[in-house]
Amino acid sequence: MAQLETTWRLQCTVNGGPVDCEVPQDQTLLDFLRIGIGLTGSKGSCLEGECGSCTVIVDGQAVNSCLVLCPQMQGRRITTIEGLACGEKLHVLQETFLDAGAAQCGYCTPGLIMAAKALLDETPNPTEQEFFEGMEGNICRCTGYASICEAIRAAARQWQ
Amino acid sequence: MFFQPKTIDEALAVRAKMGADATPLGGGTDIVVALNRVGSGAKNYLDLTHVVGYPDVQRENGEWVLSAGATFTRLGKLPVRALAEASMTVGGAAIRNCGTIAGNLGTASPAGDGCVALMAMDARIALRHATRGERIIPIAEYFTGFRKTALLADELITQVRFDADWRTAWYKVGKRGSINISLVCCAVGLSPRGDVRIAFGCVAPIVMRARKAEAIVEKHGLSPVAIDEAAEVAMTEVAPIDDHRASAAYRRAMCGVLTRRLLNQLQKETGGRASAPAA
Repeated sequence: MAQLETTWRLQCTVNGGPVDCEVPQDQTLLDFLRIGIGLTGSKGSCLEGECGSCTVIVDGQAVNSCLVLCPQMQGRRITTIEGLACGEKLHVLQETFLDAGAAQCGYCTPGLIMAAKALLDETPNPTEQEFFEGMEGNICRCTGYASICEAIRAAARQWQ
Repeated sequence: MFFQPKTIDEALAVRAKMGADATPLGGGTDIVVALNRVGSGAKNYLDLTHVVGYPDVQRENGEWVLSAGATFTRLGKLPVRALAEASMTVGGAAIRNCGTIAGNLGTASPAGDGCVALMAMDARIALRHATRGERIIPIAEYFTGFRKTALLADELITQVRFDADWRTAWYKVGKRGSINISLVCCAVGLSPRGDVRIAFGCVAPIVMRARKAEAIVEKHGLSPVAIDEAAEVAMTEVAPIDDHRASAAYRRAMCGVLTRRLLNQLQKETGGRASAPAA
């Protein structure tokens, strides 16, 4: 049940591949992804759950990776922005974000795309209310939201 | 050390042995925020998220039984209006997927929206110890001071229960449409037994009830005169402060506005009589 040291042997799945490594017990998932295994797509910003730039998907649900501790991820399946493209082929959300010009500085984009994926995986044809509830935890400080919403709606039309 | 029990009995055993030296960890949406701010965390964690049944929600014999780890996403789907609406205004989707009802109760912030909804339904909180067993605390006795509760350092919150026949209404005054921290939050509940509950968040050191206002409506029913009087009296019962979010005077005024609005809403929906909700 417990591991005696202040480190934890984390075994989980990241982007379909197995992870097995020692981590500090109070390292956040965000720091593990970025520093531990070099997946720097997920961004840290507010570190208190207000901005959504660190959003990843854990067992199908959007999660703020800055607010969970690594040991809690034991046995979980984690998907990050790096896990979406298939080789050279971008994910539909990545394509529609490009088409709509939905990124300016781009810092919020990985979190927005992961939140949108979690939303559309569960609700492929969201109502306005469901759309709002799924995306309200992610902020963008440069584009305004019109092009972002356009990109997500375009992806929804192609969602399978 | 990091404890990750798979059963509630294992979790209770760790808690009984370690007491305050092991920090219970649910969704992490309060505890890890604090860790990120300070830069160093607790010495020992008791992670409850792998306990079997931790997020369960069930209806049993006329009451809702929420396990400690019921998330706001799950509670947002309950046919219990005040609690569902309150839950859907907590954070964004990612916060609601992790944040739990026991976390809301454990943090015991006066701005705990879920706590306000539970207060309006006389919720009962199950606190359990490994060997002493379970004790049930009415929510009105659970909050003992600013971020202080009846939970002992060797116990865990295991369940929250409330009767399924409360008819409730709820509203939160905040500054934004999303990730919205309450300036004032109010929940009102009517039971078929004639009980009236008027609960507030953010206007006292603890989530509180306006008992004098409740008594007026219990005595006189949901008449326009009684509702007006309850709204006036509620404003005298709260103890808000000035802070960076709002002034005390504004908060006090909103307590009157929300009491009147929510009682009027229930009056319209029930014709003045409390009855079991359709769901």
